[in-house]
Amino acid sequence: MIKFTNVSKYYKPNVVALKTVNLDIASGEFVSIVGQSGTGKTTLIRLMIAEEKPSEGQIIIGGWDITDIKEREVPYLRRQIGVVFQDYKLLQKKNVFENIAFALQTCAVPLANIRRIVPQVIKIVGLEGKEERYPFQLSGGEQQRVVIARSLVHKPKLLVADEPTGNLDSINTREIIDLLKKINELGTTVILVTHDRDVVNSLKKRVITIDEGQIIGDQSKGRYVL
Amino acid sequence: MFFIEFSRVVKFALQSILRNFWLSLVTVSIITLALFSVSFLFIFNLMSAHTLAVVEGKTNVYIDLTASATPEQAQLLVAELQKLPAIKEAEFITPEKTLEDFKARHQDNKLILQSLASLEQNPFRGSLRINVYNISDFPVILSELSKKDYGQYLEIEDQEFTDAKLLIQGIGDYSQKIQRGGLIISLFFIIISLLVVFNTIQVGIYTHREEIGIMKLVGASNSFVRSPFLIEGIVYSILAVAILMAVLYPLLAFIQPYIDGFFKEYSTSLITLLNQNFFRVFGIQFLIAVVITVLSGFFAVRRYIKV
Ligand SMILES: Nc1ncnc2c1ncn2[C@@H]1O[C@H](COP(=O)(O)OP(=O)(O)OP(=O)(O)O)[C@@H](O)[C@H]1O
Ligand SMILES: [Mg+2]
Repeated sequence: MIKFTNVSKYYKPNVVALKTVNLDIASGEFVSIVGQSGTGKTTLIRLMIAEEKPSEGQIIIGGWDITDIKEREVPYLRRQIGVVFQDYKLLQKKNVFENIAFALQTCAVPLANIRRIVPQVIKIVGLEGKEERYPFQLSGGEQQRVVIARSLVHKPKLLVADEPTGNLDSINTREIIDLLKKINELGTTVILVTHDRDVVNSLKKRVITIDEGQIIGDQSKGRYVL
Repeated sequence: MFFIEFSRVVKFALQSILRNFWLSLVTVSIITLALFSVSFLFIFNLMSAHTLAVVEGKTNVYIDLTASATPEQAQLLVAELQKLPAIKEAEFITPEKTLEDFKARHQDNKLILQSLASLEQNPFRGSLRINVYNISDFPVILSELSKKDYGQYLEIEDQEFTDAKLLIQGIGDYSQKIQRGGLIISLFFIIISLLVVFNTIQVGIYTHREEIGIMKLVGASNSFVRSPFLIEGIVYSILAVAILMAVLYPLLAFIQPYIDGFFKEYSTSLITLLNQNFFRVFGIQFLIAVVITVLSGFFAVRRYIKV
């Protein structure tokens, strides 16, 4: 599903964000990425969705070599990857239904399909009955679930979540992680970047540990070790 | 697929215009102002071209015949002149006709009429009236005439043709100066409006930065992200040209009397002039507006598209 070969990423003057990273993630995996602040976790995610290009090495996503992806091809990559960030990135003037529908509207999906898909993803994230609510009428956890629902509209084979629970209390965190697990069980590969020790330890899934831009640990039933 | 995308893009564009209503208003006003200055340049050009054409058409040169020339010789000369391609009209004005014209022109002046009546014979000689297609051909024709055999029958003075030429040159020079001034003013306004419109559109786009970010994240194509802003620009252009028309016509009607007073017999209806050049004038104005808005939109959105 994801293959990084000797990937390095330098930011301009001389910041080394990632250093010869080798990574192989199979389809259907649930992988947690942990590491201290500023070690390159977000950079790794941004490389996967082609927000940044690698300075060195090769990146393959779902069999597609995106190392030198052209700008006009990026939208097609994005439609195959669900993306969830810590800050919710919802449109405050649109309600739940509209926020989710927006992702489909901007990709030339016909209205009939929008009417069919949006209720499906709302059901997956468990927000039935709250379609008409605006973001300010939702809890942080609920808002994050809207974002996850929105990331699912294209039925992505890969979901990347960069600290999706960073702003949430432990109960909401629990719910979001359960939701991600559920999505993973439905067949989507999930990459979860997190700082949360309890989350990682309770998942009992593969854990990749990054430090100073390098992978220093990769365990299949890992624990948070730092 | 295309239709869905197009209708959504148009919808986004209209929503955006309405949501930033005051910003849209400022944008349209500025474009309208720029077009307004361009319009005046246009109308001035049309007016001066018209005046030049009228003046050139009305410019006749009279060449007096010498006393020795007979009417038969004069007719021959006219026939020869009419063969020259540069000459539009050539006519023999008989002494009698000249006398009649002179009397008609001075019919209110008893003194002149009396003194004419007291003369035994017609004091006027015959002359040739020559009208050319292009005023600058006159010198060549005149020198041609003085060289040939008929030089002896003609009293060629450069004076009259020189006067006409100076008038036309004067008009040409003036209108060129004014045109240059108008062009500079118009360019100035176009640049100002480009700067202002670029900024208003950028502010407008700034209010959409979150939407753009999300669009990019969920896989909207660049053209989809960009199109609403380009369509917004086209809508602004249409509005600006419409407002321009709504203001320009009454204004032209209002200044028409002053134009008539100034140009006198050379004047013409500005509205007719504008109508005759309707598509050229407003087409170019629309193009200018589209270039201003679409360029601004294109560059303003570029910053947010790079994610
Ligand atoms: N656009 C950029 N320009 C320059 N340096 C950058 C840029 N983005 C990130 N960096 C640097 O690259 C390094 C890795 O950043 P990254 O955001 O990947 O860290 P992170 O592991 O996600 O940290 P955190 O846990 O705080 O989110 C940091 O030193 C950061 O300062
Ligand atoms: Mg980060």
